[in-house]
Amino acid sequence: MTESLHLNVDRRGELVVLYTEGYINNQGGEKIARQAYELIDQGHKTILLNLAGTKIVNSIGISILIEIIEKMIEIEGKLAFCSLTPTIEKTFHIMGLTQYAGIYPDEPTAVQALGT
Amino acid sequence: MTQDPPRATWSAALAKLGDDDSEELLAQEALAGWLADNGCDAGAVYLEAEPGQLVLEVEAGEVGLPDKLEGEVPSTFNYRPLPGGVLLFRGAPPDHLTEIGEAGFVIAFSARLASLKREIKRAQFEAGRRDVAQEALYDVGLAIASTLDVEQLTEAILTWALSLLDARRAALYLGDSGGFRLARSLGGDARATVVPYDASSPPADVLPGASFLLAAPIEVEGRAMGLLVVGDKESRSGVGPFTAADERTLSLFANQAAIALENARLHREALEKERLEREMELAAEIQRQILPKVIPSLPGYELAGWNRPARQVGGDYYDLLPRGEGRLLVTVGDVSGKGVPASLLVSTLHSASRLLLDRQDLGPELAEKLNRHVCESSLPSKFITLVVGEIDTARHRFVFVNAGHNPGVVVGADGGVRCLAATGVPLGLIPLARYQMGEADFAPGDLLCLYSDGITEQADGSSEEFGLERLIQTLESHRTEPLPQVIAAVEAAVGAFAAGAPQGDDQTVVLVRRMG
Repeated sequence: MTESLHLNVDRRGELVVLYTEGYINNQGGEKIARQAYELIDQGHKTILLNLAGTKIVNSIGISILIEIIEKMIEIEGKLAFCSLTPTIEKTFHIMGLTQYAGIYPDEPTAVQALGT
Repeated sequence: MTQDPPRATWSAALAKLGDDDSEELLAQEALAGWLADNGCDAGAVYLEAEPGQLVLEVEAGEVGLPDKLEGEVPSTFNYRPLPGGVLLFRGAPPDHLTEIGEAGFVIAFSARLASLKREIKRAQFEAGRRDVAQEALYDVGLAIASTLDVEQLTEAILTWALSLLDARRAALYLGDSGGFRLARSLGGDARATVVPYDASSPPADVLPGASFLLAAPIEVEGRAMGLLVVGDKESRSGVGPFTAADERTLSLFANQAAIALENARLHREALEKERLEREMELAAEIQRQILPKVIPSLPGYELAGWNRPARQVGGDYYDLLPRGEGRLLVTVGDVSGKGVPASLLVSTLHSASRLLLDRQDLGPELAEKLNRHVCESSLPSKFITLVVGEIDTARHRFVFVNAGHNPGVVVGADGGVRCLAATGVPLGLIPLARYQMGEADFAPGDLLCLYSDGITEQADGSSEEFGLERLIQTLESHRTEPLPQVIAAVEAAVGAFAAGAPQGDDQTVVLVRRMG
């Protein structure tokens, strides 16, 4: 577990994959949001968040992820998550994130589902 | 005079209500439209959330206004009342603008709807968060109970603690009431140790740099076994103190963690015990290999040996070593103490005596070498009593050294009893000790018994010892029987005397009888 969130960006044409490593809390969530909004401003409309390197998400982090989802809906884009720990996946289900964002077991499945 | 935008504009806008987020959009559009129509460059709508508290709901243009309006309206702004709130706008108010009218109603109504929708969303989020917390507490029990690995367990506990309490940092300490050692921290550094603590006020620097702390003791049956600390509760605006609800959650969580950690500890102990038992069994097997696997034959004589350690491994030892030409060495030794330490010295004795006896004849010099070797290779508190003697079937004589061991007993065919007293001090006590030889003749039918003090010192329930007399009586009673039966008789007599009292020491009996 790293002390703060690290974020790696992989641009693949229309699709951008964000790899997180660390705690998605207020600081981690803001980091993801800043990156996502920057990508949106650049015209990217499909973002995949690969959370393989994240074991903890708190409710502040989730609220920020919800804001990103809302933003994506606003621009008629697509946001999806993949490689979640069972705990995080369960949390996302309870918090309703799965109504607006796809959850996929791994990256290839997510990329295929996003159709990019 | 009021001048509203055309009614049709508002009607169209109102028609959008019900769509997702349309209220906020409508409020913004309505406000922007009104501002533009009235020559204002920026404005904002505050609605009354609670009596006397106005909260910013909608804004247009660069207003730079606070989220909550307290006291006077900023001097650069004008204002007009709205249903349930107030509209602030910047720019020269047109002379004709005295009432906002229908536009104000639309702005206020849509802003209020947007506000309510946000409230509902917040409430739904909070409800979801509570559900997550509830599920998490349930999952915590399952998750941490499913692992007995302390490393995994500490990570799981801290992960859940951070997540459940929206904490930025967390640390778990384990130990006992004497002090706690840092097992793991997440989100930042933590102090390496915590001395006896009061969980309600953990050391201020336990999580260096953290502004707010909350701690809960991890206790099992009132026994402190750890401390769980979280630091800096997060919100969107930064960090703040933990709440009373957080305190209850952390306490509940610490209770579950305590059970899981205790299970892990018990499991670890069970594994350790199992490992020790396996090793002890192996040690016992090794020791069994040291003892004669078959009783050698000696023309004109019968031989038998028996050993029963008080624990899995013991400090008694016997050996029957043919020397050729009708001679055989008989050894019975007893290392002080019992269990593993004694058994280790038995191995030393076995190796040393075998090597020495292989190279030189039995005599005082051999005993003295053996003594020096034991002195050099054992702790000062350890010693060995030993009787080693050679049976010479040509001369029917038993020549021996008795290093502080119980006197051997010869029960004669004529009914007489002789004791083979010590001829020197136990091995390992005095490095330069001297030894003498003793000897005894074997008449036909004579029975020699060498034994360890586990036989004669076996106590009954009232701490009375079996004693040499009872041993001699038993030997006399069974003197003519096959030697295995004589040994069985000794074992039975000692057992009957003990009457259920535990075996106090390792027990060994070696019998030699000259055939009649």
